[in-house]
Amino acid sequence: MQTFASRLTDALGPQVVHSEPEDLAVYAFDAYSQDRLPSAAIVPSDAREIGIAVRIARECDEPVVPRGAGTGLCGGAVPSRGGLVVSLARMNRIVELDVRNRRARVQPGLVNLDLSNAIAQHGIFYAPDPSSQKTSTIGGNVGTNAGGPHCLSYGTTTNHVLGIEYVDADGEIQHTSIDDPGYDLTGVLVGSEGTLGIVTEATVRLLKLPEEVRVCVAAFGDVESASEAVSAIIGAGIVPTALEIMDALITHAVEAHFHAGYPENAGAVLLVEIAGAHEDVAAGEATLAAIAREHGALSWRAARDQAERDALWAARKGAAGAIGRIAPNYYIQDACVPRTRLPEIMHAIDGIARDHRLPVGNVFHAGDGNLHPLLIFDRRDARQVQAVVDAGTEILHACIAMGGTISGEHGIGYEKRETLSLVFSGDDLAAMGNVREVFDPARLFNPDKIFPSGATCGEVKR
Amino acid sequence: MIAKPVRAKRIPTASFALGSLTPGRVAEPQDGAEAAAILRAASDAGEAVVAFGGGTLQSAANAPARYDIALSTKRLNALHEYDPRELTAGVGGGMTVGELNALLARNHQFLPLDAPLAAQATIGGTLAAGWAGPRRAAYGRPRDLLIGATVALADGTLAKTGGMVVKNVTGYDMGKLYVGSHGTLGVIVRANFKVLPAPAVRRMAIAPFDDELRVRAIAHASALSIEPAALLIVDGFHEVAFAGRPRLFALLEGSDQVVERATRELRSALGAAGIAETRLLDGDAAASAYASILDAYATATADTSVTFVARGLPSEAVTRAQRVRDALGRVDTVADLRTGDVIVRVREGFDTVRAVLGRAVVLSAGPAAGVDAWGEVPAALATMRALKAQFDPRGVLAPGRFVGGI
Repeated sequence: MQTFASRLTDALGPQVVHSEPEDLAVYAFDAYSQDRLPSAAIVPSDAREIGIAVRIARECDEPVVPRGAGTGLCGGAVPSRGGLVVSLARMNRIVELDVRNRRARVQPGLVNLDLSNAIAQHGIFYAPDPSSQKTSTIGGNVGTNAGGPHCLSYGTTTNHVLGIEYVDADGEIQHTSIDDPGYDLTGVLVGSEGTLGIVTEATVRLLKLPEEVRVCVAAFGDVESASEAVSAIIGAGIVPTALEIMDALITHAVEAHFHAGYPENAGAVLLVEIAGAHEDVAAGEATLAAIAREHGALSWRAARDQAERDALWAARKGAAGAIGRIAPNYYIQDACVPRTRLPEIMHAIDGIARDHRLPVGNVFHAGDGNLHPLLIFDRRDARQVQAVVDAGTEILHACIAMGGTISGEHGIGYEKRETLSLVFSGDDLAAMGNVREVFDPARLFNPDKIFPSGATCGEVKR
Repeated sequence: MIAKPVRAKRIPTASFALGSLTPGRVAEPQDGAEAAAILRAASDAGEAVVAFGGGTLQSAANAPARYDIALSTKRLNALHEYDPRELTAGVGGGMTVGELNALLARNHQFLPLDAPLAAQATIGGTLAAGWAGPRRAAYGRPRDLLIGATVALADGTLAKTGGMVVKNVTGYDMGKLYVGSHGTLGVIVRANFKVLPAPAVRRMAIAPFDDELRVRAIAHASALSIEPAALLIVDGFHEVAFAGRPRLFALLEGSDQVVERATRELRSALGAAGIAETRLLDGDAAASAYASILDAYATATADTSVTFVARGLPSEAVTRAQRVRDALGRVDTVADLRTGDVIVRVREGFDTVRAVLGRAVVLSAGPAAGVDAWGEVPAALATMRALKAQFDPRGVLAPGRFVGGI
């Protein structure tokens, strides 16, 4: 009997299919890291090839895991049961650009930043900008409904996807559009982390570049007062394009690496971006600076030019990487709280880290209430490893207790599936299970992701 | 299974009629749990249930195939959570859009759902009908403003999705599925939104023009550096201001300075196109003028009149609306330059409208119009049917109302 890999190779050719262990090693993990070799990996050029592979996988009872750039932090791209990994790396084209109507049809392997860079000459951009945007792909972003600093005013990926082409569990190519009558399948597919099908094309909405952009940096004595300033800004009914906080630990690491011009002696730094019409940007800065000062800002400074703005943003988006250079290991958590609770949750996180004797850095999308505490540890020390796991869970519990949730933009993946039942009841999960049952009754796509292990969707339902 | 008695009150059923059907009774649950129990009992008994809010967009779906119970969401009108400092609000599905916006306005906030007949339209009904108005280009669609929901399902459970935070990827985004499902999957008993700071100034600029200036006027108005929140070319629609002439409506929303600049730009652009007069309405007058257009969308002019909406590309909206008028003469049309929507209100020639516009769905219809609300079926119909069967295996939720007979 033919093996799974040899059937794939016969159907698609050796240039598409990889099955040697040394070739498969790169598909065994993502940024969450969990090693498990798939039986095979394909790097297809089009949806048709994916359809063929899915049909073979189905016949061989092998699970199928889609993969973008592998930057996901929750194990969404990890082939937890082996099977087939579908790398979308080769499908990285802008298929169609409609400048007048501000939309583009793109392949899933297109790198997020490459899209905005390619269209900037037309005065338009693609708004979702995860910190990983230099490497992460549109397809991966669609899978996790990725966010980013600018989601505060522009919304997350789901608000920018107008339609999807995907390969379903029968290997058939399907099309959805939010403008079609009928159920909004597009909206359900975005954020489904590869469990409902494999996205082979997305039609995305593009926005007009703002007339003016101003990026400002304020220094605070501590992260709580910076958080209070953010709560006050939102409370005053002002929604800038971005409101980001970095604490002292992160700011030091970032400055040591990037020299972007953040105030190094601050207990916390608030990065504010205001964009829009010239009149609004000038007035907005004055108002925001006044609120920041009322809440203890020690300094406020606007970047002078595009180069300085870019440097500040590059450093902010490179924060996790900068920590990687000074810490043996780190674990980045993703959770949300209502925005009035920011000072309180920052205090709670500090206490949790202290209890577990772990250094913690905080770099987060404060305006959205989206936290990213970064716990620093040494993998070689078993106590520290356990402490990180425990502290991470305690932080999630603290967020839920304040009316928040367990993921703002990274998704649930493999990592958080057991905690999903902390926010959703069996009935809530059963409704989601209904969707899974329709799209993927055989649980072919990305098993072990999103849903708690004790109860697969089918089991959750009654 | 044994049928449980459905909680019912003696509420006159006539005002809940759909097509030729009047429900046997009206249920008025006072909370989500009661709504879920009603659905469970109906499921067990095989009785068909149609959720009923303000009734403003009921004709945007086909009449049900069967109709035993009207589930009025009237009493599901609580303000569950609203902290103005959070810019979020959680409300019952039966609250009217008008009431919510009045509550928000006290804190200089708003929710741009653009619901026609907002004083009657409910939050749940507006979401379920999948309505998305002109300002979606500026502020996002209702689905994008929704951050969480609680839905009563046919099996009697109450399922939550999302929450009260503005950013959330925790399990499937089920809210997207219920929005636009016309009550065929469940009943939205609670909806959570991110709300927005209200613009300091709201101004409606109205420019009636002569037909020979149409092309230039539109070209100039489409190239403004500050884009209006809504930009509509209205032909016909006698209840909208300056009836009798084609006219451009530009809704300008923002700070005082920006709206002033936008006004100057618009006037000069239209002036260059040969249009001398642009009338300005501010504040409540602007809001009423805008509402009068939205309200007209949901208002039948005769028992047989039908208002269609056809989605499309912004660059093609004007041409598409023109093609309908070329084919049918002086009918009511709106070309939405920012969203690409074409709205057409006609008393006959339904097939012509669909032939010209392609996929056009009914937004409202007079009681005797007898038109299929959906027209051409979508590519993904098989998946949609399977979803319906999974959520409502007994087929009791709004049977036959949705696309493809779902």
